[in-house]
Amino acid sequence: MYKYELKQTILCLDQVSAGYDGKAILKDINILEKDVVREGVDATGQIIAVLGRSGRGKSTLFKVLTGLVKPISGRVLITTSEPNCPESAKIVGEGDVGFVDQKYTLFRHKTVYDIMMYALKSRKISVVEKKKIIEDNLTTWGLLEHKDKYPCELSGGQRQRTAIIEQLLTSKHFVVFDEPASGLDVGNVKKMKECYELIHASDELNTIIFSTHDIKLAVEMADMIYVIGFPEGTTDYSTIVGRFDLKEMGLAWTKLGAKHLDLMEKIEETMLKS
Amino acid sequence: MKDFKNLFSPFQEVKESTRLMIIGSWLTLVFGLWFISAFTSDVHMFPTMSQVGEGFTTLWSEGLVVHIGSSLRLCAQAVIYSVFISLVFCYLSPLPILKPIASLVSKFRYLPLAGIAFYLSILINDARTLQVWVLVVFMSTFFVTSILSVINEIPQEEFDHARALGCNRWEMLYEVVIKGRFDYVIASVQQNLAIVWMMLISVESILAAAGGLGFLIKNSDKLGNQGRVIALQIIILVIGISLDVLLTFTRKKSFRYSRF
Repeated sequence: MYKYELKQTILCLDQVSAGYDGKAILKDINILEKDVVREGVDATGQIIAVLGRSGRGKSTLFKVLTGLVKPISGRVLITTSEPNCPESAKIVGEGDVGFVDQKYTLFRHKTVYDIMMYALKSRKISVVEKKKIIEDNLTTWGLLEHKDKYPCELSGGQRQRTAIIEQLLTSKHFVVFDEPASGLDVGNVKKMKECYELIHASDELNTIIFSTHDIKLAVEMADMIYVIGFPEGTTDYSTIVGRFDLKEMGLAWTKLGAKHLDLMEKIEETMLKS
Repeated sequence: MKDFKNLFSPFQEVKESTRLMIIGSWLTLVFGLWFISAFTSDVHMFPTMSQVGEGFTTLWSEGLVVHIGSSLRLCAQAVIYSVFISLVFCYLSPLPILKPIASLVSKFRYLPLAGIAFYLSILINDARTLQVWVLVVFMSTFFVTSILSVINEIPQEEFDHARALGCNRWEMLYEVVIKGRFDYVIASVQQNLAIVWMMLISVESILAAAGGLGFLIKNSDKLGNQGRVIALQIIILVIGISLDVLLTFTRKKSFRYSRF
């Protein structure tokens, strides 16, 4: 059994309602995530999965999380992770949380290297330092030899990794993935998992939030799962109908076993009811 | 036999050799019909090949190269001005206050050329300048239409991607629309060049002294010289296709990511 501690708050959604043209699709969304520190492990990032049936507002939630859609009410706060002020937080804005969509969208007119350089545009560091960061990332993610290629010249896996690094470089710690596994073959899903593990292990504050329809993938990868769906008695809006903390259950960071299967059944039941 | 049947079935894949054979057959048929109709019938729909050849010779001796140069200069001037004007309208169209203007300019493509030429002739005295501006106004309406449609078809994901990188609205416009779709501008020039090329006859007739291919074809038409008309049509077609090939080559060479 592993030991872990919860430290500073890194993400907080406080009574968030969101939607379009004044009509709320999501209501009463409350999420509080803290930095997880594991004994004997250098860095443990957070992996949060959001599950829900189609049309339950997962993509809207992600747009709120990334600051692309302003909440109708409530607020989304993230840690600023400033060294001298660990508890400082700010309202999320565009560029604070990375967003990787299903298509792994990139600038079509920039090479991998230019994409990375552009992602660092707001960092107040020298060009030499930027080049060093880019080279380190390209080496770590196995993209160094592809640095002069355009997105249309990359394979699916290379494109996926480029999109992830780009967003990580911009947002520093938070990356949201909207249904990253949809349409990927088994090899690319494996690569995606390896990417998650790399992000997870590279910085204490790194936080991945991803949506999926694949309950097994969520249970296998996440340490926290939220289920979004219609609350009982209404189909007018969605809210969080299930919260499963795999750390508390002793199921995080371990291989899939019988208890995971039980949890999968429970999640499926929650999803079907909502 | 089955391969032959496939030629008459929709969406059938054919071998490269078969494709070349089809093109060869069509060319043989066209030239064959031309040859037969020119020599076996009293009623000529097309002039004979020798008449066309003669047409080429007389055009050459009358300074064909100078006329081609004049037409190309006129086109180049009109394209440069209209591209510049149209891009200003299109790139500013995401501004809510200017969006209706760009849409209105696009609708002007339904206006007749004669009407545009009439109003411009009131404003412009110099005939060559009038030629250029008739083409510019006419071409801009088509150019704005093409570029607006390119902008409208940019997927929302690309704008969201730029926003997620912290781009402000002007940076989004610059990165996603201007830089991100610059290769499409060349493609639009290609499409619109065909329209300008088609309008040469009408526009070049405004100023006969300036010459040009349009003037030559109109003159030959008046004289009823079929051989010259067809020779000029062939020249205009070959130049048009060459410009098209040149622009595709330029786009592919300048923008490696341009895959359409």
